[in-house]
Amino acid sequence: MGLYFLKRLGLSVVIVVVAVTMLYGMIHLVPGDPASIMLGPRATPEMKETLRVRMGLDRPFVIQVVSFLGNVAMGDLGTDVFSNRPVARIVLEQVPHTLVLVLISMGWAAMMGIPLGAFSAIFRNTILDKITGVFSIAVIAVPSFVVALYSLLFFAVYLQWFPAIGAGEPGDLVSRLTHLVLPSLAVGLSWVGYIARLVRASMLEVMGENHIRTARAFGLPESVIIYRYALKLAILPTITLIGVSIGRMLSTAVFAEIVFARPGIGKLIYDSVITRNYNVVMGSVLVSTALFVFSTMISDWITALLDPRIRENL
Amino acid sequence: MTQRDCHSQQQSGISRRHFIKGTGASIAALAALPLLPRFSFSAEHNILRVRDYGDFQSLDPGIASNLYEENISAVIYNKLIQYQPGDEWGWQLDAAEEIEQVDPTHIRFKLRPGIMFTDGFGEMTAEDVKYSYERIIDPELESPIKGDWATLKEVRVKDKYNGVIVLKEPFQALWMTTLPYMAGNIISKKATEAAGGKYSTAPPCFSGPYVLESWSPKQRTVLARNPEWKGPKPVFDEIHIFPIDDEKTAEIAFEAGDLDYTRISLSSYEMMKAKPPENSTVKNFPSLYYVWVGMNMENPVTSNPKIREAVQYAIDVPSILQAGYFGVAEPATGIVPPGLIGHRPKNIIPREARIDKAKALLAEAGYPNGIALTFDVRNKSSHITAAQVIQASLAAAGIEVQINSHDSGSFWSLGDESKGDRWKEIQMVLNRFSSAPDPYYAAQWFTKDQIGVWNWERFANEEYNDLHQKAAVESDPKKRDEMYRRMQDLMEMSGAYHFITHEANPAIYRNSIAPALRPDGLPLLRYFGKA
Repeated sequence: MGLYFLKRLGLSVVIVVVAVTMLYGMIHLVPGDPASIMLGPRATPEMKETLRVRMGLDRPFVIQVVSFLGNVAMGDLGTDVFSNRPVARIVLEQVPHTLVLVLISMGWAAMMGIPLGAFSAIFRNTILDKITGVFSIAVIAVPSFVVALYSLLFFAVYLQWFPAIGAGEPGDLVSRLTHLVLPSLAVGLSWVGYIARLVRASMLEVMGENHIRTARAFGLPESVIIYRYALKLAILPTITLIGVSIGRMLSTAVFAEIVFARPGIGKLIYDSVITRNYNVVMGSVLVSTALFVFSTMISDWITALLDPRIRENL
Repeated sequence: MTQRDCHSQQQSGISRRHFIKGTGASIAALAALPLLPRFSFSAEHNILRVRDYGDFQSLDPGIASNLYEENISAVIYNKLIQYQPGDEWGWQLDAAEEIEQVDPTHIRFKLRPGIMFTDGFGEMTAEDVKYSYERIIDPELESPIKGDWATLKEVRVKDKYNGVIVLKEPFQALWMTTLPYMAGNIISKKATEAAGGKYSTAPPCFSGPYVLESWSPKQRTVLARNPEWKGPKPVFDEIHIFPIDDEKTAEIAFEAGDLDYTRISLSSYEMMKAKPPENSTVKNFPSLYYVWVGMNMENPVTSNPKIREAVQYAIDVPSILQAGYFGVAEPATGIVPPGLIGHRPKNIIPREARIDKAKALLAEAGYPNGIALTFDVRNKSSHITAAQVIQASLAAAGIEVQINSHDSGSFWSLGDESKGDRWKEIQMVLNRFSSAPDPYYAAQWFTKDQIGVWNWERFANEEYNDLHQKAAVESDPKKRDEMYRRMQDLMEMSGAYHFITHEANPAIYRNSIAPALRPDGLPLLRYFGKA
């Protein structure tokens, strides 16, 4: 088990380094000059050159990458030359907003999707199953930004139940939560469908297996069979899906952050790419890649803990 | 249904009836929610909530260069003079009790006594004015707004409150683009030096009617009343500024009651004007921006003046304004908008396309069967639409246009010689510059020394350069007006420019507030009041 975790950890570090290096190369291939964007038309060529030097853009590409990764190893993500603030601080200010949004979205999506999928499997081929199926496919098909816009128009503008913009008052839990309702609805809704369909398929497969039939033959109550034996196994692929979906949600969150004018790492990356603010792009991509790799690792870990067969194969 | 299915449904403890009952109860509870008291997010606590299009990165007036930074600086600092709210451009006294142009190169000022810097940094003096303005031209600061004080020689301090701004040469734009704008903010010498000579997001002290209370990056800036402010008491306890770059989001936030003032999109203007949200006013303001189609005079193809002229005659401005700007924006006659010195009443080239003339010019240029050109545009919806309209009208004249769309990062380095040779490939470009309420500001980018920097058309005209120098120092408004008109004539006659529009700045605000806006609709937050 310990070796498994060490291997995963090592692989994760390699993935992060490769991803960051690739992105570093890609962003430099795209034309655009951060000095011109930042300093505006009134800047002299000398001022632009000075800024390029401060950003380290005068050095060869390889040196820039190695220097960046070396600094990262020392815990330094660099300084944002635009605001003169540490990149790590800028990124860490935004990460909690995105993490909370993603976790709440996934949380409610799982709480809705798992029972829906389970009921769908239990009531297979009934009208309830069909309604659930239509609902699941429908929410998968609707893009997040459409959900965001319509939920804003209905719940924020028409009903005025929830605020339209921002992340709420710092230190006020109720305000924070009310500001999360609509963004998490937009980010999580399609995942209700994914999870429901996956749980239904897994449940149907598990319900047909020998150990379930044996349990029934022993006369165990159906609720025990479903919750204790069937769902526990059927939920394993869902845990893997949730782990991978955290990464997908990090990218989906950017839509919610723009539409709901929320702070967050997706919006930070978007703004930084537009302004060619390389230091912030690299710092935030590094953190979001690490988050993705970390969440996938955690889901594998939970799967291994829940399923003895996986543990034994390690 | 199989026997096993029936079995599972009966014994699972969750029957279909239970499930339907539960779902029904949930829907009923949801439907009852409107009967509950609504969450309230409106301005109940004397708070003004406005949207700006970006979040600040620096509040050091010597380093900040964006309008959204100036919107905050204008509230937390003082200037000798400030823009006057209203429909006509003008200025009013702020930190200065008196200010006058003694001669073309000397401006005498006297500060109002009793303007205090917070945090124990004492009273504002003429030394602070000297420090604030001279540091901008100090090469060590690398100020992006250095150009605004390009003609500053020094500020002479007479005594505690009196001083003289000494210019190297006369500069008429100073009164409308420097003193009441970004470069005019006065900061505390003592506090700034204590902070190491410059700062970014945490100003060491304030002197305006509001102070920076808190800042949540990319979320909200809160300005609170300055307890040490001796001037007229600000109307609002707090001003909350939300950085929202997407106009549609801002419109929804306004309709949801989360904002009191915001700029709205051109596409929404007519609809909101016809049916504004409850208790709100929608108004359109003329913008200072200018949009034009430029042509590279050094590209092998567009260096041919007949081709450039053919393009000018083939462009149909009314169609562009209808499709790209929803009929809200007015056509431009040049780079100087209406209401400013130097505005031309009409263009030389007609606004409406003259396809026959364009075809004839193309034939004269040696391309009777047509020609293909590239057209670089920014990936902004109004620009893409405008480019498509231009593409269609040019096609009618036999000019096949290939549109190259760029994100802003890529676009703004297109004509920059220091960033490679992409400038050589520019043939046609749809460009848009911001401006200030003096023609000098708009005209300065088209001089010879701007070629390869911001003069992407590579327009080099000695008469233009000469007039630009003379107009900057000319004190007679009538003569300045004639000079700037002539300069725009020269631009248009070169064939390298076809002026499209100055755009528009539609905004919406609650009827409960009395917004204080510049003639172009931009907010002067310190003067906002209640209706």
